[in-house]
Amino acid sequence: MGVTEQGLLERDKDTMTLNMGPQHPSTHGVFRVVLEMDGEIVKSAEPDIGFLHTGIEKTAENKRYIHCIPMTDRLDYLSPPQNNLAFCLTVEKLLGVKELPARADYLRVIMCELGRIGSHLVWLGTHALDIGAMTVFLYAWREREMILDLNEMISGVRMMTSYIRVGGVAKDATPEWLDGVRKFVDYFPAKVDEYESLLTNNPIWLDRTRGIGTMTKEEAVLWSMSGPVLRASGLNWDWRKRKPYSRYDEFNFEIPTQDHGDIYDRYLVRVEEMRQSREIIKQALDNLPDGPYKLEDNKISLPPRDTLHTSMESLIHHFKLVSDGVKVPKGSAYVPTEGARGEVGFYIVSDGSNTPYRVKLRAPSFMGIPGMCKMMEGAFIADVVAIIGSIDIVMGEVDR
Amino acid sequence: MTNEEIREQIEAIFESAIQHSKVTAHGELEVRVAVDQFLMLMAYLKQNRDYDFDYLSHITGVDYLDMDPDREFRFEVVYELFSSKKDHHIRVFVDLPEVEPTIPSVYHLWHGADFPERELYDMFGFIVMDHPNMKRLIMPEGWEGHPLLRDYPLTVEEIAFSHNPDHKSELIKTQEDVKVDPWA
Repeated sequence: MGVTEQGLLERDKDTMTLNMGPQHPSTHGVFRVVLEMDGEIVKSAEPDIGFLHTGIEKTAENKRYIHCIPMTDRLDYLSPPQNNLAFCLTVEKLLGVKELPARADYLRVIMCELGRIGSHLVWLGTHALDIGAMTVFLYAWREREMILDLNEMISGVRMMTSYIRVGGVAKDATPEWLDGVRKFVDYFPAKVDEYESLLTNNPIWLDRTRGIGTMTKEEAVLWSMSGPVLRASGLNWDWRKRKPYSRYDEFNFEIPTQDHGDIYDRYLVRVEEMRQSREIIKQALDNLPDGPYKLEDNKISLPPRDTLHTSMESLIHHFKLVSDGVKVPKGSAYVPTEGARGEVGFYIVSDGSNTPYRVKLRAPSFMGIPGMCKMMEGAFIADVVAIIGSIDIVMGEVDR
Repeated sequence: MTNEEIREQIEAIFESAIQHSKVTAHGELEVRVAVDQFLMLMAYLKQNRDYDFDYLSHITGVDYLDMDPDREFRFEVVYELFSSKKDHHIRVFVDLPEVEPTIPSVYHLWHGADFPERELYDMFGFIVMDHPNMKRLIMPEGWEGHPLLRDYPLTVEEIAFSHNPDHKSELIKTQEDVKVDPWA
């Protein structure tokens, strides 16, 4: 706009450029989007990312495999176990590990599903807060706190657990922890009903979410959307079913799908996913096998701590693994897994040494941003934050 | 269709442009194609109704400078394709030379290629032809160099303030300089 001689504001062109973010509370991190506005309608949206770039892929090329695991936590920091799992599965594939002990897989599944519930709770709380429902945020944080406490019990850390390791998990589950998970499993379903009673039939919520940010099945596939966004558009695609890993085929659960592909459908899909994740945890607790919690091949996983004082061989293996690390055969691999936001996978190239030659993260948030900006075109300015919330981006894995 | 059938069909149609193809021990189909026939192959994979490779999972680049300095081509680009309707999966490799590594964009086939292709330019300096909005993605505009190249220095340690006038900024180039190995 320019000021004319009469002192009146005059528009230079038909549209106005509006900058949103990166310091905006509703962009879920440091995400910037430049909106071209025609009145209240968004004409086009141009994403701008990179504010949280930490060079994790470059750093990983200079670290041992075991050192990379804590870095994967920091990518999708709302559900770290799923990143650990994707990384470890890929390294195990390169190592030629056929099968892990059943207990290891079950503990991995419990952690991943707890991570998924925790991540969806953060999404639900912040998404509702963006649209104006403050109470849900407080409720969701209350239950997430329980999950963080469980994380702390088993791994010593509340968020960046690094619990899943190459060849199994870091520590065996204690009876107290299993009791804690059991309590959470029994407590949680009533709480999901509570969130639903606040939102699902709430007329304001319906007004703000129904028919907004719509994406058809074909569009969602074209724009490489994944996870709940794809399923809300009517495509039944979940890597836990399509190519089961970590014994997901031993659990009974359903993949919730919806047809309209709008913000409301994504909400319904994620809420139902929380229930299904709780089902999986319950079944895993009921059928948790006894036995080792990691591979007994000490060339890959550390020997049990208490054997270090009695067995020379264990001591040597421990020393070798900690000082030199595991040597991964030459080759490349990619294992797609179902994270809280969609397809998470690492493409790893190994040159046969103890450091990965190239690590590439396939991040659902990163792949989802162009499609998200497509959704914003034609929407009202007030719906932009609702659309960002419904994709559930995490900038840690976008900028890496 | 099984992976083996797809592999045989592609081999038969593209003949010499397919430099290498195999079904791995994990049952994954991998194809290495010459860059001049690359776009043809990708369009064929997308549009053939028997394959239905309609989903682009990710694109990534690899720089083989340290691993294999004698490799004919320094760079490699990897495309991972899935089918949303069928259980198909293919990984397409393209080799790119060190001088002017140029690859055509697949944005018009899969719009999801938007960010990954910009990242290819940003991180490796590959020239992606016909991309609708080609500019840096993660690094700021005006940044020099492409960080994921193997000869890009790991970091430059800027010393902000020192009482010692001889202090100089230190350039860390390789892993040997970083000394991550406590036992070395």
